[in-house]
Amino acid sequence: MLRLIMTGLFFLMILLFFADLLLGSTHLAAGDVIKSLFGQGTPHGEIIVMQFRLPKALTAIIAGAAMSVSGLLMQTLFRNPLAGPDVLGVSSGAGLGVALTVLTITPLFSFAPGSQLQDWSLILAAWAGAGAVMMIIMAVSARMRDIMTVLIVGLLLASAISAVVSLLQYFSNEAELKTYVIWTMGNLGNMSYSQIRTLALATLAGMVLAFAMIKPLNAMLMGETFSRTVGVNMKMTRIILLAAASILAGSVTAFCGPLAFIGVAVPHIARIIFGTTDHRTLMPGVALSGAVILLISDMISTLPGGGQIIPVNTVTSLIGIPVVLWIIIGRTGLGRKF
Amino acid sequence: MRTGNVIAETVDLAIGYNARGKSTTVMDHLSLSAHRGELVALIGRNGTGKSTLLRTMVALQPPLHGSVRLQGQEINTLKSSGLPKIVSFTSTEPIALRNIKVREVVALGRFPYTNWIGSLTAGDERSVSDALGVTGLLALADRNIDNISDGERQRTLIARSLAQDTDLLVMDEPTAFLDLPSRYSIVAILRKLTREKDKCVIYSTHDLDTAVNEADRIWLMTETGISEGAPEDLMLSGMLAKAFESPLLSFSQAGGTFSFVREKLAPIALEGTGIVRKLTERALRRCGYRIEQDAALKVTVNVTAGNTEWILLNGLHKEHYTSLYNLISHLLAEGLD
Repeated sequence: MLRLIMTGLFFLMILLFFADLLLGSTHLAAGDVIKSLFGQGTPHGEIIVMQFRLPKALTAIIAGAAMSVSGLLMQTLFRNPLAGPDVLGVSSGAGLGVALTVLTITPLFSFAPGSQLQDWSLILAAWAGAGAVMMIIMAVSARMRDIMTVLIVGLLLASAISAVVSLLQYFSNEAELKTYVIWTMGNLGNMSYSQIRTLALATLAGMVLAFAMIKPLNAMLMGETFSRTVGVNMKMTRIILLAAASILAGSVTAFCGPLAFIGVAVPHIARIIFGTTDHRTLMPGVALSGAVILLISDMISTLPGGGQIIPVNTVTSLIGIPVVLWIIIGRTGLGRKF
Repeated sequence: MRTGNVIAETVDLAIGYNARGKSTTVMDHLSLSAHRGELVALIGRNGTGKSTLLRTMVALQPPLHGSVRLQGQEINTLKSSGLPKIVSFTSTEPIALRNIKVREVVALGRFPYTNWIGSLTAGDERSVSDALGVTGLLALADRNIDNISDGERQRTLIARSLAQDTDLLVMDEPTAFLDLPSRYSIVAILRKLTREKDKCVIYSTHDLDTAVNEADRIWLMTETGISEGAPEDLMLSGMLAKAFESPLLSFSQAGGTFSFVREKLAPIALEGTGIVRKLTERALRRCGYRIEQDAALKVTVNVTAGNTEWILLNGLHKEHYTSLYNLISHLLAEGLD
């Protein structure tokens, strides 16, 4: 049964991937899109498909999977059903890293704009920012068992970081400011294939760490005391989970901006779909669900045929907020259950 | 008394906490032992350090001094992969999950034996089913953990511990928050494990009744240290009474039970036989009377043709009652003594 749902979800992802290529703000005939993929389309179609739609669809899959798995890791790690990269300020931390890099280090790369070196420095800065916030949240979670307290601390952290970022904005020029503001709206487009490869590599690294932690994650569902008495090295496990969640959320945030509510909402959607908390099922399930939901969000955001684009964050928020509300006031109440 | 081999012992152990370079000793000079096939109940008043001792025995916190030996090996020389195959621990940690089945929780007990992703082999499945069977959970195996009663949830945790397949099971208050039948069913299961599977179970509890009636050995924790022995040993030595007695409680040495101390003790005579007499006596005691055959006040129990009535004789005045409640209400209302 679980296998069937998983397979179904996989084919849904493939289907949506092609649908995402077919649909866009500019109308293209389906035949033209398919021919373009093999370099046989019209010049107009080939540019739209190969330089805009294909990178965007690939990014949606990678970013959706990465943000969602990062959220799943954080929820189990902090034993908090409302944990997620954006909710707890981790995306803000990554954003601060990005902002600092763009304003201080990037001019050093002016000899080679858009180089791999620049991409990796951006990603490393985002990891560091995400990791720093993650460690603060971890320290707070260890002392405060109340999930609301942890959320408020995350909110305060995000506010403090945005204050620092505002300061940076004040000293930046108009073009930089516009780039930054657009970045905060979440953007799956504008990715070069070299950037996609970098993002894919970083995500793969994060996923390998995450999948390697499936067994200890399942023990952690039973609490820290149980985990320790069955032989889980909690210190090591925490460090790896923290690194994996930071790598996944940080990399995506560096390139696509702080994608709202994907990380917190998708794990819950997957728990409902699969009806389990077992990470052996949830880990691939959450990754697939995340890819599917971000593909859908992307399609909606391009308002097919409308000639306009709305920020993808608007769509993910509209999908994610009801889920979060449902967790807060729904049947779980404010308990620590998930 | 059986003399199985020693499975757990503490040698001049000091327990407590290390925080910021300062150590707080909760209790020291503890030399205790537990044997295979033995049910050991750890009792003591709140705050005497029962949890601290149990947590130290399963290496969740380090000893401040001395050592813990499990199956003859020093606990801190055991690898983190070896220890979980010797001892399992059930804490009072609540399960914060909804979407998990009883069987899945129990299967997590196989953690020390499974591969990197936690797949269950046929042998693992067998251990899980055994554990479910012994704890009477087979019928509930596919229910979600939040759809069962508190007692069943506690049994699930015991089954999880059992699935870990260790010779020593340590449990912190497995009967807390449970109703009376559930408490007895838990202790009965623990006892069965020691008898049928030759396990050693050490559990802490506030439930003196079951501990005194079912445990082979009691570790009694008081502020001054631990006394160990068969429950009856501790009754004889008066240690049990000393540990729990207060101005409000008195201990019956022979029965092993506690009862309230009554302040006012008025004499009353009682005539009657059988269970009715026993319960009447109990009711009168509860209301502050002591039975004395030549007292002026007298209750006669009269059982005729299945009907019970109580006759209260106060001098020449005679009154009939159809229930103990009526009799007692009258006695209390009139303040008779």
